[in-house]
Amino acid sequence: MTQFDLSHIGRRFGAVQALDDVSLTLGSGEVHALMGENGAGKSTLIRILAGLDRPDNGRLLLDGTELPPANPASVRAAGLRFIHQELHAVPGLSIAENMHLDHPYPRRLGLVDWRALNTAAAQALGRLGLGRLDPARPMSDLGPGDQMLVRIAATLIGDGLRAPWLYVMDEPTAALTSEESERLFDVIGDLIRQGAGILYVSHRMPEVLQLADRVTVLRDGRRVSTRPLSETSQQTIIEEMTGRDISGLFPDRQMDQTPGPEVLCVAGLRAGRVVSADLSVRAGEIMGVAGVAGSGRGTLLQAIVGAIPAEAGTVTADAVPVGGSPAEAWRHGIAYVPRERRSQGLMLGRSISENVVLPHLGALARARLFLNHGRQRRLARELGQAVTLKAASVDQSCRELSGGNQQKVLFARALAGNPRVLLLDEPTRGIDIGARFEIYRLIRRLSAQGIAILMASSDLPEIIGLCDRIAVMRDGRLAETLDAEGLSEAALLARFYHVDKTEQVA
Amino acid sequence: MWLIRRFGGLFGMIAVVVFFAASLPETFLTLRNWLNIGQQISMLAVIAATMTVVMVMGDFDLSVGSMASLSGIVAATLFVQDWSIPAAVAAALAVGLAGGLFNGIIVSIVGILPFVGTLATLTVFSGLAFLISDGRTIFGRDIPAAFGDFARGGPPLAGVDDRVLVLPNLVIVAALVVLVVWVVLEQTTYGRRLYAIGGNREAARLAGVPVRPLRLTAFAFTGVGAALAGLMYASRVASANPTQGDGLMLTAIAAVFLGMTLTRDGQPRVLATLAGVVVLGVLDNGLTQMRVDSYVREVLVGTIILIAVGLSALGRDGLVRR
Repeated sequence: MTQFDLSHIGRRFGAVQALDDVSLTLGSGEVHALMGENGAGKSTLIRILAGLDRPDNGRLLLDGTELPPANPASVRAAGLRFIHQELHAVPGLSIAENMHLDHPYPRRLGLVDWRALNTAAAQALGRLGLGRLDPARPMSDLGPGDQMLVRIAATLIGDGLRAPWLYVMDEPTAALTSEESERLFDVIGDLIRQGAGILYVSHRMPEVLQLADRVTVLRDGRRVSTRPLSETSQQTIIEEMTGRDISGLFPDRQMDQTPGPEVLCVAGLRAGRVVSADLSVRAGEIMGVAGVAGSGRGTLLQAIVGAIPAEAGTVTADAVPVGGSPAEAWRHGIAYVPRERRSQGLMLGRSISENVVLPHLGALARARLFLNHGRQRRLARELGQAVTLKAASVDQSCRELSGGNQQKVLFARALAGNPRVLLLDEPTRGIDIGARFEIYRLIRRLSAQGIAILMASSDLPEIIGLCDRIAVMRDGRLAETLDAEGLSEAALLARFYHVDKTEQVA
Repeated sequence: MWLIRRFGGLFGMIAVVVFFAASLPETFLTLRNWLNIGQQISMLAVIAATMTVVMVMGDFDLSVGSMASLSGIVAATLFVQDWSIPAAVAAALAVGLAGGLFNGIIVSIVGILPFVGTLATLTVFSGLAFLISDGRTIFGRDIPAAFGDFARGGPPLAGVDDRVLVLPNLVIVAALVVLVVWVVLEQTTYGRRLYAIGGNREAARLAGVPVRPLRLTAFAFTGVGAALAGLMYASRVASANPTQGDGLMLTAIAAVFLGMTLTRDGQPRVLATLAGVVVLGVLDNGLTQMRVDSYVREVLVGTIILIAVGLSALGRDGLVRR
């Protein structure tokens, strides 16, 4: 059995001790999960492991032999491979070429030997049970899940170095659907059976509980524990990560609360993948939108906010029809927190306050034209407090914030205009458990203030734990609406796949 | 280290001024010379300032140079047909507005990349200028004396050696344009929305920013600025030929990029653009006075732009990640 040790690693950035005496042993044949909130030191540890950053103290050891620090080439030669959540794929090149991006192309007479290139790719794909993928097809034909599997397969192509045996996967499922994730888990199983080891970094508790043999928890740069999965539990892991007791992740509903009048009304909406949707959300109600990936779950929110043009149907807020553009929607008190906070939500290079006030520039200005900088910053500061945003100041650039705090900036933006309706698309995607808890509490509080909330999520415990009612999308149709009270995950999942006779006829 | 990263560009600019002041002790730091520099750069300042308006959205307008030539030709041609100065100037500015709106339409509504779209209109505007003027320079008695006098005149400042120094009208016009652009970009919701488009176009759209109309009108801004600069040029040389504004485009873009090296977040800002314009003007003025050959001058200026922008790029991202 091969073994890789991180021994007593320390790393300080200015005043922050990012890692403090962290030791970790990674062995072949097991999945080792690394957990911790954002800022716990996971990323720093992985950068040091990859040879991208030099630790202040500590050593990297392969079977007891010390590796030179901060040397990516020697880490690679030691058989480590890194799979990141962001896919570095070249869409226009073929699958086989993408698999050879960091390998020499096979050549014949000095020219590329295309047949050998495709054969090598096909063999590597075959070893992971991915024979269904044709290496000559362009990478752009594949979804993000298959692209990630192709990247993993690419590491199996021999390059004369030690065969890879330890895979470091950093949030590999962040961009994947649940079906794609399942295929990744199959491949991880194959790799383990072939003697590899995995260091698996994820925020998603169910995945860790499903895959891991051992779990290491980091908090504030220190290792809190390393335990076999059998000796720990979700509860223990969460408590170790947050340093506090989270008895229930989902805050209780306030029972005395009775839903108010209908605020958001959607009738006969057809747009993009959404074939037909009718729903209404009352003031103070949280309505979930659930369904398998591709069911039109997220598209429904995009259609309501006018981000994609509606082909038919109406959206009304407080009985006033809302025209088909995001500008119109914001003006009518419909606030939207998009799914992709980096690409669709934030101006990453800009300050928190610029990001918060963006949809409300006109309302905050003098004569709707001339800026009132003081008022903008005050509002951003107040809302930052309201959403428990942790930042140095409202002038800090959003790029420097953790995922959870970036999401809170988007919530602050949504709240800045005192919305009547809040549309949330995957509000806790890629966010650590502590920030997630805070966002759940925030959603509850906003609902108690009488905001109508419509929330699409692929996280079943979240949608059941938080929502009052759940709209189930099937093949672009809003098929039915369920009461969340007492609903089990299994029962909800069954509704995702349920095929109704009348729908078949239609 | 951060000091160099943050203010390195500024130090460089000061170094340029100090260098010329030491090399040309008699002439460089005189009021007369700086008024001269001011007049020389006023056209560039107008074009670069209005170019900044589209560049904050991450767009370009390559057609500004040929629009400047076209507007000079339009005004001069109308002078030949005995139009009054205000009418001809208004017509030339209207041509700038129309050309800018056309750029805006092809970029924001049709969806052509600004680089490609404005490259095409560059050719169109240039062709129109030749067509209207028949390829000839319009000068002499065809240009009303008052039009040429405008560039030479201005409110008097001080008397030196029996000659009265005036604050050139062109400098006043340029200062007004920079002021207007500054107010629009930094103090109005319109400007901040343009910056938002540059920050993340999709996020801006989803946050209710009307991206298409804003991009369209921003190009109109740049078109009018280009036409105004063309008129200033024509007034200064009291003539118009169909290529006289062409060189302004590349220099204006260079000025915006030079300015971006001065801003904390690397965004285009109009006052930083103005600093870039001044540096280019000072370089040109100083090197000319030192009798550096004009071809050598071009090589030097290009190299200095490369070094400034290159250092700033390295300072921002560091060498490590490459």
